[in-house]
Amino acid sequence: MAELADTPLLEMSRVSKTFGPVQALNGLEFSVNAGEFVTVVGPSGCGKSTLFNIVAGLEEPDDGGILRFKGQSCHAAELLGRVSFMPQRDLLLPWRNVVDNAILANEIEGANRKEARAKALAMLPEFGLAGFEKQYPHQLSGGMRQRVALMRTFMFERELMLLDEPFGALDALTRTMMQRWLLDVWQRHRRTILFITHDVDEALFLGDRVLVMSARPGRVKMNCPVPLPRPRHADLVTAPEFIALKRQVLDAIEEEAMKSFTLSTGAH
Amino acid sequence: MKAVLRLVLGLLIAAAVWQGAVLAFGIRPHILPRLEMIWGAVLQAPHAYWQGFLRTLIETLIGFAMGAFIGVLNGVVFFRLPALRDMLLPIFVVSQTIPVIAFGALVVLWFGNTLMAKAIIAFYLTFFPVTVNTLLGLNSVDPRQVDLLRSFGAKGPQILFRLQLPMALPQIFVALRLAASLSLVGAIVGEWFGDTTGLGVMLLQAMYNENVVALWAAIFCCAILGTGFYALVAWVERRLVFWGAEQ
Repeated sequence: MAELADTPLLEMSRVSKTFGPVQALNGLEFSVNAGEFVTVVGPSGCGKSTLFNIVAGLEEPDDGGILRFKGQSCHAAELLGRVSFMPQRDLLLPWRNVVDNAILANEIEGANRKEARAKALAMLPEFGLAGFEKQYPHQLSGGMRQRVALMRTFMFERELMLLDEPFGALDALTRTMMQRWLLDVWQRHRRTILFITHDVDEALFLGDRVLVMSARPGRVKMNCPVPLPRPRHADLVTAPEFIALKRQVLDAIEEEAMKSFTLSTGAH
Repeated sequence: MKAVLRLVLGLLIAAAVWQGAVLAFGIRPHILPRLEMIWGAVLQAPHAYWQGFLRTLIETLIGFAMGAFIGVLNGVVFFRLPALRDMLLPIFVVSQTIPVIAFGALVVLWFGNTLMAKAIIAFYLTFFPVTVNTLLGLNSVDPRQVDLLRSFGAKGPQILFRLQLPMALPQIFVALRLAASLSLVGAIVGEWFGDTTGLGVMLLQAMYNENVVALWAAIFCCAILGTGFYALVAWVERRLVFWGAEQ
C-alpha cells in the first residue's frame, strides 16, 4: 500500500491450536499491514475459521504462540471488541429492522442510538439498501441480508475487519457484483481487511496479497502478492497476469488438497 | 376477516346442532338444556355471573403473571447458573407431581380462603412449564450468534437482553399459551376449597343443587374466560414474535 506503517497491524508467529486430538493450526506465521486487503484461501478444513476465531478474540491459541496487535503482544481475548468480525452467515437479528441491525455493534459499545441510526441511514445508499431501512431480515433477499451484515461490520469502526466467506452463500452472479462493490467501498473507507474464501478468483480479484493455507494442521504455505493495478475491473479475471497468478495459487492448493485427500482415504 | 366469518359460522352450526338435537330427540333439560334456558339463567342473575367472572379472572391473571415472571426468572437463573439448575430443577419436577388437589389443600391451610391462595394455586400450575421452556429457548440460541456479539465486546447481560431472551421468546410463548389455560384451571380448583364468589364456586353450587342449567351457564362463562385469555396471549405473541420461527 501507499504508506506502510513501521509495524504491521496484526502479527502472528508460531501460533498453534489443538482441539483434543485434532491439531487445527500448527506454527502459523503471517502479518497484515495497515490498509492492506489480505485474502486467505485453503482446502476445506484447513483451520481458516480457527484462525479467524483467534483474531476475533473468540478462541485462545495454544501456549507458545505469539500474537501482536499494533506491535503489542496480547492475548486473543484482548482483541474482543477491537476487531470487526463478520461471520459466514449474516446472523441478523430477526426482530431488528435493517438500521437497527446495522447499529447493533455500536449499541453494544454504548454509542448514542440516535446518532448511530442517523449514520446508518446515511450509509444505506452506499450499501444498496436505500429505502429498506424499515424492512426486517425475513423480508430481504440473501444478497441484501449479506449487505446489511457488511454494513454492521463497517459501522463498527475498527482498524481490522475480518470477513469470513461473506459471499459464500450467494449465487455466482450476485457474488461477482458484491466483490466489485466491496472493492469500491473498501477503496473509499480504507480499512485493513482479512478475508477468508475458498474461491481462488475471489481471493486474487480482491486481495493485495493471498495467503494459501496448507492442509490440516494449518499453516501458511504460500504468501502470494497480487501486483495487479487498482481499481480492478471485472475483465481482470481473464487477463494473462491474473491467469498466471491463479495457476500458481491453484497448484499450491491442489497439492494440499491431494495431501488431505490421500490422508483421509488412506487412513482406514 | 374470512377466518373470522368461518369461525362465526362454525359456532352457529354447533349451536344449531345442539338446539336441533334437544328439540328433535326431546332431550330432557337435566341432561342437556336448550340454549335459551342457559342464556335465561345468566340473565336472571347477571350481577352474580359478572361478579363470579371478574373474581376468577383476577385470580387467573395474578396467578398467570406470577407464574410467567417467576418462570422466566427461573429459566434465566438456571441458564446462567447450571449448578443451581442441577440442584433445584429436580425438586421443581417433584413439586409438579404433587396433585393440584393436595397442593391446593396445603395452600388454603397456609393462606386461608383468600384471593391470594387461589392465585398461588394458579401460579403453581404455570411457573414450571414457563421455567422449562425459557431454559430450552435460551439453550437453543445459535452459539455463532453469541460469538458475534462477544466479538463486538458484549458482556453477559448485554448478550442476555439483546440476543438470548428475544431469541427464546417463541419458545417462552409456547409455555405462556399453555399457562393461560392452566392458570384458569388453578383458579377454579382453588375456589373449590371454599369461597363465596367465583366461577369455580358457581360450578360447585350448581353441581350440589343438581342445577344443570346453572352448571352449563358456569361452564360457558369459564369457556369465554379461558378462550378470551388464550386469545389475548396469542395476540401478544403475534405482535412480539412477528418474525415467526425463522432462524
